[in-house]
Amino acid sequence: MTLVSLRGVAKQVLLPDDSRLDILHAVDLDVDAGDHVSIVGRSGSGKTTLLNILGLLDSPSAGEVQFGDESTLTMRAGRLDRMRGANVGFVFQQFNLLAGRTALENVAMPLSYASGALFWKRDALAAAMLDRVGLSHRLSSLPDRLSGGEQQRVAIARALVRSPRLILADEPTGALDVETGASVMSLLDEVASESGAALVTITHDLHVAARARRHYRLDAGVLQPVDLDHAFAASAHAERSVVVAEPGAPR
Amino acid sequence: MTARLSLAPAAGALADAWSELRVHKLRVLLSLIGIAVAVGALTAVVALGELQRQVMAEQSDRYGGRIATIMVGASRDDGAPMDWDAMDARFERVAERYAFSRTSRIVDGAVTVPVQLPEGVTQLPSRLVDPDYAAMHRLTLLEGRWFVEGDTELLAPPVVISEALWDMIGRVPVAQHPTITMTGDLAGTYQVVGVTPRDGPWDTTPRVDLLYDTYRERLGAMPSDVAVMREIWVPPTIVDELGPVLAMDMRAGAEPGLTISVNRTDWGAQAGFADSALIFQLVTGAIAGIVLLLGALSLINIQLVAMRQRIREIGVRRSFGATSGRIFTSVFLESVVATTVAGAVGIVLVVLVMRSDWVIELMFPGIQDVPPFPFSAAITGLVASVIVGAIAGLIPALVALRVKVIDAIRF
Repeated sequence: MTLVSLRGVAKQVLLPDDSRLDILHAVDLDVDAGDHVSIVGRSGSGKTTLLNILGLLDSPSAGEVQFGDESTLTMRAGRLDRMRGANVGFVFQQFNLLAGRTALENVAMPLSYASGALFWKRDALAAAMLDRVGLSHRLSSLPDRLSGGEQQRVAIARALVRSPRLILADEPTGALDVETGASVMSLLDEVASESGAALVTITHDLHVAARARRHYRLDAGVLQPVDLDHAFAASAHAERSVVVAEPGAPR
Repeated sequence: MTARLSLAPAAGALADAWSELRVHKLRVLLSLIGIAVAVGALTAVVALGELQRQVMAEQSDRYGGRIATIMVGASRDDGAPMDWDAMDARFERVAERYAFSRTSRIVDGAVTVPVQLPEGVTQLPSRLVDPDYAAMHRLTLLEGRWFVEGDTELLAPPVVISEALWDMIGRVPVAQHPTITMTGDLAGTYQVVGVTPRDGPWDTTPRVDLLYDTYRERLGAMPSDVAVMREIWVPPTIVDELGPVLAMDMRAGAEPGLTISVNRTDWGAQAGFADSALIFQLVTGAIAGIVLLLGALSLINIQLVAMRQRIREIGVRRSFGATSGRIFTSVFLESVVATTVAGAVGIVLVVLVMRSDWVIELMFPGIQDVPPFPFSAAITGLVASVIVGAIAGLIPALVALRVKVIDAIRF
């Protein structure tokens, strides 16, 4: 079942000098429930804009976004916000935990925008989620007392606590070392597949991208499926040529 | 369950606001000191106004009688001597139809009595009254008791003396039955049954209060040249209708040359009394209002500066499903909750201060019935703090509303 579907989505912004900048060109993308998609691309290629559109934070200049069975084109802002809160969980590169709030409060935050049992039992749910990501001993720690890996695990718990159908991760390992990044990504994969949520990861790290089932590359606003084996080979070649070229390079 | 469902957004917004205040304790504390002070000042002003009114009422009661007091006076404009016994008879006749609960004849200031003091016989001012006078004028005694019915039967007639006179006779406790001796027409020994306190440190008048009937019996008749007034304590609800009817009844059949006046003398009849209390309250209230305004301005200022640091947080919250309305409410409530708490602190402090006995004694020496801390003052303070919070919260909340989520989370 298709969860989110982008049809001919384009995004343009007006620059201060009145010229238009095309960020996305006619992007078509379907993300199914439980799907795992990675999108790689250089900085400035429009990855974050695409993620924002997928997460209903931004609206396209042209094209259509369907979330579930509904078109978001005519949806009112409040409805979009509630839909996002109930269905989408974000994991950011810089963690974006709320300063001064404990891990528990950070994880409970999305539930404070829910209603009914989710709202009233938010602390218990948040504690259970933190336990799931292995931080049951850190419930009352403030973000600045947590390591980078721990912070990102709190962020993952926060993204998953409302059992969203779609998890959007924007460079989730960008601020972590390789080893921590790898363990955080395994955790993210694990909890996402446990809950049956679709996971869309944006990254420029091919290893992170390789964890997904489907791989896309965004280049100058154009989204295309990509064969990661080729990408790995190209990247290895590039690294080698850098190493080979270096000794002779002028200083 | 449905009720809980609908409560969630409000409860959540309140919880957000409270958590924000908790996290930024110092910032909040600094911005709220002004509010607490201002609300406290406002509350104190309203409470002081009430107390002031009470003090003025008590003071006025001592002079003009309690609400509502009607005074009946009589005079002759034909030079003939005034027959006060006839006036009494006339009043008793009229009063039969009204069943007044308390009345008193008063001769104040026109009569002096010769009292034997250590330095010789001295003419002292005297006040001639009936037993009801004390209740009608909210009179309390420093020592002993006031006159009661039947005191005129006593062989040594009772007197109540002022504290200044009590000092002159050596402050002998009333329980030891001190006496004073008078000479002349009033010759005899009088038992001091009570002492009236000084009105203030300035009050040094030695005065003797005598029962009207005691004085009259000793002299045979009231001298015609003194002015005898009769005060009647009546319910304030009927005083306006009663006055003219009573005046008509008293004047009915009066012989020519006799003028009977009927006036209301308590402070409730004087517009100026209420006005002066109001002016006091308005002036001090305006000052508190300005302090409150300054407090609100500093609160807005701090909140706006803080808002710049909170843009990313707002972005994160929005991306997790907070609607713009919810963000607006949280920021708005933050300010309202903060000022309400600050206001409550201010009010509690003022209540504590104003309830302490020595503060009351210091500010209102001689007050008798200390009114409980006026509820209206606390409510006024609380309402003011909520309003200030709402005003101060509106601007930052509008700023928060304009935060663009996608920009905020990339900050």
